[in-house]
Amino acid sequence: MLTCEGLTKRFGGRTAVDGVSFSVAAGECYGLLGPNGAGKTTTISMLCGLLEPDAGSVSVDGAPGGSLGAKAAVGYVPQELALYPDLSAVENLKFFGQLYGMVGKELTRRIGETLELVGLSERGRDRVGTYSGGMKRRANMAAGLLHRPRLLVLDEPTVGVDPQSRNAILDTVAALGIAVLYTTHYMEEASKLCQRIGIIDEGRIIAEGTNHQLIVAHGGRDRVRLTTHSHDVRPLADAYRDLAGVHTVQAEGATLELETDHGPGLLPGLVALATGLGFELSGVEVRIPDLEDVFLGLTGKELRD
Amino acid sequence: MIRVIAANELRRRVRDRSIVIGCLVAPLLMAAVLGLSFAAGGASGPVRLGVSGASAQLVRAALNASQLPRQVTVEVMGDGAAVRAAVADGTLGAGVVLDVKKADTPRRVLIPVVAPGSTHEPGFDVITRSSSLLGQEYAESLAAGLSSQLFAGQLDGGRVIDPPRISIVSENLGHGQKGTLNFFAPNIAVVFLFIGSGLGMRSLLMERTQGTLTRIAVSPVRASRVVLGKLLAIFTTGLATIGVIWAVTTFVFGASWGDPGGVALMAVGATLAMCALGVFLTSLAKDEQQAFGIVLIVGLGLSLLGGNLLPSGSLPSLFQTLSLGTPNGWALVGFGRLAQLREPVSAAVDPFLVLLAIAAVMGLLAMTRVRRMVEP
Repeated sequence: MLTCEGLTKRFGGRTAVDGVSFSVAAGECYGLLGPNGAGKTTTISMLCGLLEPDAGSVSVDGAPGGSLGAKAAVGYVPQELALYPDLSAVENLKFFGQLYGMVGKELTRRIGETLELVGLSERGRDRVGTYSGGMKRRANMAAGLLHRPRLLVLDEPTVGVDPQSRNAILDTVAALGIAVLYTTHYMEEASKLCQRIGIIDEGRIIAEGTNHQLIVAHGGRDRVRLTTHSHDVRPLADAYRDLAGVHTVQAEGATLELETDHGPGLLPGLVALATGLGFELSGVEVRIPDLEDVFLGLTGKELRD
Repeated sequence: MIRVIAANELRRRVRDRSIVIGCLVAPLLMAAVLGLSFAAGGASGPVRLGVSGASAQLVRAALNASQLPRQVTVEVMGDGAAVRAAVADGTLGAGVVLDVKKADTPRRVLIPVVAPGSTHEPGFDVITRSSSLLGQEYAESLAAGLSSQLFAGQLDGGRVIDPPRISIVSENLGHGQKGTLNFFAPNIAVVFLFIGSGLGMRSLLMERTQGTLTRIAVSPVRASRVVLGKLLAIFTTGLATIGVIWAVTTFVFGASWGDPGGVALMAVGATLAMCALGVFLTSLAKDEQQAFGIVLIVGLGLSLLGGNLLPSGSLPSLFQTLSLGTPNGWALVGFGRLAQLREPVSAAVDPFLVLLAIAAVMGLLAMTRVRRMVEP
């Protein structure tokens, strides 16, 4: 549905996007995950025809990026609210629907369905300027969905949104079943929604794959932390070192920290062994690596930096 | 698609009331101010003036030239002493004593006589009393009118003749205030056109700020259609503005803009040219505040240069020539031919074509600039 090859964009002497390539299949939700300023919005702007790439190409459903055919296939939900505050949601959708060639009863029906989808049916006749922040975001999304795009491009749609509206947006996206390009710097959203994720930093995609693939490849091992009432945990540490699946053991005071292949699976065995050796545990913590760790491992910095 | 974009633009401007204020309230107010200022015969009571040293014919011609209001009556009196006595005892509001011997040199006659105290040298005594300031004003205007008639006679024959062969037909100039209204009503309408087009274009800058322009730009609509839609909306509001001013000054205050066909032609030409210029200038701005500043400064400059604030005939010849480099100057040429010279619709064709040419050039420049705002 979407193919980008070597997309590059420079602003003066700064390269905002540097040879980005990826593809999104029909029905797939692809996440572009990266910190602010990584090049996500610039990439999207080139996909939607808002910016001319300095190099590289875009193809949307077989049409060259930026062409009228490509534009008709894309539904764009920008990061900031892009609706007329003095008009109602229905009036906004009517106008934007007309831009996509929709008219008459078909347009009216689509408006009703789309408002229903984003949970704004009851407030559709109210001016957008009177909406709460979350409602505005949902109306913003409705404008991108109205013409039933084959590819939906969402640029950080949940930034600054209350948890309830955020969940509503995520549920809506999950239920669409169309190709979705979703940019975010919230790794939980990318993990939850996206079948594949591209991690972008300083204008380059530095890793790509499923959530699991990325974590396995770049996230490091599970970490298990055990706290005992004993002041000498060295016998327990020695016993753990001999266990299969345990890679490293560090002892510090009454605490042990283990690097393992599969922390939750090993945990019962670890607890049983400690009890068997006479150690009374006062705390157990298992930490499974996530995309934050992947990003940290790849770039040496936090995702929210 | 152009119609869809124009309709949305108009709907938004109705909703935020800017169209109501710009196309209805402000023009209505301005038309009312103009009408109440110039259409009525004046709020003051009758004023009597006396003139000596000039024939009744000369005085009649001077009255037309002076465009004095209807409540001013002028009597031709035997000599200067009679005028002075009548002013002193309050029978007359003021008087003018013409000394032809002093006025035999055209150059001296031409010196403006409207400034109090400057009347001796040119050959006029304006006789006034302190309790009748209006009388003084009217007498000075009458003296100016007499001066112009005498000067016209000088031009014709090389000497003062009585009456002058070049006369001013009262029908051409209208009756005092109505003539002024006929002059100012189209003038103000043209200024409103320019301001209105600038305000209309501001909405595109607002759309850029609020992100809706981005949403339009990602839709499968050609940038040229978007721009034409915006221009159509601005043209429609401009035409509505001039229509409101025309209707109110004509039907409520009795102004006469001249041949309706010619007025329609000039309204379309002026709206096209002023809107194209306004849109182009606004497209140079980076934001709304800058756009407002540009429209204000350029609007004031064009108004002065084109003759909207001061009749171009009263400006130095260089400025009179420069006024023909402005769209509003050409608009006023057309409207002036129709309203003041009572010429037929054919007289408006030339200025209309010039305005059309200005609109085409400015429109193309505006299209190029605005397209850049819409497409990458």
